[in-house]
Amino acid sequence: MSKVTLKVLTDEDIRQIHNTSLQLLQEVGIEVEYEPAVEVLKEAGMRVEGRRVFFDPAYVEKKVAEAPHDFTLYARDPKHNVHIGGDDVAYVPGYGAPFVIDAGGNRRPSTWEDYMNLLKLAHMCEEMDLSGGMLVEPNDLDDRTRYLDALYAHIRYSTKCLMGSSYGADGARDTVELLAPVFGGKDAIKEKPVVITLINTISPLKLDARQTGALMEYAKWKQAMVIASLVMAGSTGPATLAGALAVQNAEVLAGITLAQTVNPGTPVVYGSASSITDMRTGSVSIANAEAALLTASTAQLARFYGIPCRAGGGLTDSKTVDGQAGYESALMLMSPVTAGVNFILHTAGILQYWLCMSYEKFIMDAEIAGVIRRFKRSIDVNENTLALDVIKKVGPGGHFLTQIHTKRNHKTEMRKPVLSDRQSYEGWSKEKLTTEQQAARVWKKMLAEYEDPGLDEALQKHLQEYIEARKREITK
Amino acid sequence: MILEELKEAVIEGDRELVEELCQKVLDEKINPVEAVENGLIKGIEEIGRLWTDGEMFLPDVMMGADALKAGLDILGPELSKAKAAGDAKEGKGKIVIGTVKGDIHDIGKNIVAAMMTAAGYDVYDIGFDQDAAAFTNKAEEVGAQIIAASALLTTTMGEQKELVDYLKERGLRDKYKVIIGGGPTTQGWADEIGADGWAETANDAVSLCNKLLA
Repeated sequence: MSKVTLKVLTDEDIRQIHNTSLQLLQEVGIEVEYEPAVEVLKEAGMRVEGRRVFFDPAYVEKKVAEAPHDFTLYARDPKHNVHIGGDDVAYVPGYGAPFVIDAGGNRRPSTWEDYMNLLKLAHMCEEMDLSGGMLVEPNDLDDRTRYLDALYAHIRYSTKCLMGSSYGADGARDTVELLAPVFGGKDAIKEKPVVITLINTISPLKLDARQTGALMEYAKWKQAMVIASLVMAGSTGPATLAGALAVQNAEVLAGITLAQTVNPGTPVVYGSASSITDMRTGSVSIANAEAALLTASTAQLARFYGIPCRAGGGLTDSKTVDGQAGYESALMLMSPVTAGVNFILHTAGILQYWLCMSYEKFIMDAEIAGVIRRFKRSIDVNENTLALDVIKKVGPGGHFLTQIHTKRNHKTEMRKPVLSDRQSYEGWSKEKLTTEQQAARVWKKMLAEYEDPGLDEALQKHLQEYIEARKREITK
Repeated sequence: MILEELKEAVIEGDRELVEELCQKVLDEKINPVEAVENGLIKGIEEIGRLWTDGEMFLPDVMMGADALKAGLDILGPELSKAKAAGDAKEGKGKIVIGTVKGDIHDIGKNIVAAMMTAAGYDVYDIGFDQDAAAFTNKAEEVGAQIIAASALLTTTMGEQKELVDYLKERGLRDKYKVIIGGGPTTQGWADEIGADGWAETANDAVSLCNKLLA
């Protein structure tokens, strides 16, 4: 295990939460609003009343143990393959916001142009391990078919791994149909997962038809999924964090059990976006001490089950790229990375509790994520790094700037900032740029430097034809 | 004194106690108009004041509104008689509220409904996943002034427009003030679909109703 490991719960705490979740699954059950899922679980021996499925604790434990401890997601360019699990952390851009906030704080509905810009930034940005999923809602495209445009864009304009559509069984099927020809066919992708999809439960204690339909379809093709719960402590879950975790855990275990029932060995990630309710307004608040605790304890729970984990992100309730956005996002990235979370959705770009994306925030979060990834790597202690010889050589009162040891080691030991200003006052005061202004320069330069990775012409044509045919079917 | 007890029970959000006390009002033939106006309503007004001062939180307001409603349900028939006889004051106004078709998110809507109740409105909550006809029928039935529709998803916002169009088609548009809200909605969206108002928070929603009915 990594040397940097934040723990907020004892082993006994974890066991109590686990037991409470099993009790909830057995005694209260989960409302499953998708008939095929109810059938599959019934066949597996679960007690069913209407749509309420009561899970047998021994069965849940057995099924959860069948999920892989870690897995690799395969990218169009193998250098972007991503290992999910162990001590690794994968950073993934913000997901699903219907608004963009421009520099200066002006909010507007997001568009397809924003989608493409953010996709290019995700592809270019070194800190992002995946190109992401629904980067923003393209409000100017037909909402019935926009997921097809989004999938095509990821395949066509980035060579990093992507996230699939959770738009029911149809969305999942389309995702598989579009990706299979790019990766050597359906049999090939069954062996090597090429897509990971966010499947959300409905808190408290529900699985809805759309997400569950997608879950079952992806499991059939053994494609990876993040099965995530979002309990808002105080409204969609108990106000006490332990109780909120018990609810979250029951939902996620139910989802994982279903996936492993459909197809044992399907790669899944234990996910949480749980947070608290602001008790004055009823709004979700996603960046605070309680959320950071829920995030870290989720990592511990996932480790207890031996499954990779998703939680946290560059999260904030702030409406602009300001001090609050900075300190909240830093906390909400520090907690998961140091606690051992493996997959961080919403790493970059989020403002106003997931509702908004910001280009400038994207750049700031990537910087925070880079700093924290470096922190997680900890301190290598060995003969070279202890540097006894060079310290002897320099001796008292000397300096290390002209030592070959310094020249050789500083680049790997010290992360160089992309955004942070380290100039003198005089240097900074020439332009007096704020973080937001500086970040705007960075993303504009990145977009200007984007290079099209290309895609085989025949394949492009095939994918486009498939999409056109599907669009005709869906909109007819 | 039972009036004071009723007020305190509402402030405490103690639904069972409110029900018990209201039953006592009926059994002992205490004036129901007195019980409502100088008991229950005084309680909800106190909640409203404490809320505005930042001393109360959502559970306090929502449980207080629930307790009030439970009391009104019991005293309702007697109260109607009194109203018919012209002995009771009319409420501030009637509001039909719900979450639109295809959308099951109702926490925000419930909060808004509670705030409206606390502000003195008669609130008719029709629940979630409700189509334009359900909103309209309820409004017609109770003689509402305002219809409030909530949507949390970009994919269900269109139902708010449906509601406005549905009212127009039936020549009922001018009879009601239609207000909308929910995560992805904006003033721009309200203008686009021809709603009478939009609010981002529950407090704003109450102010909006006050303004529309002023």
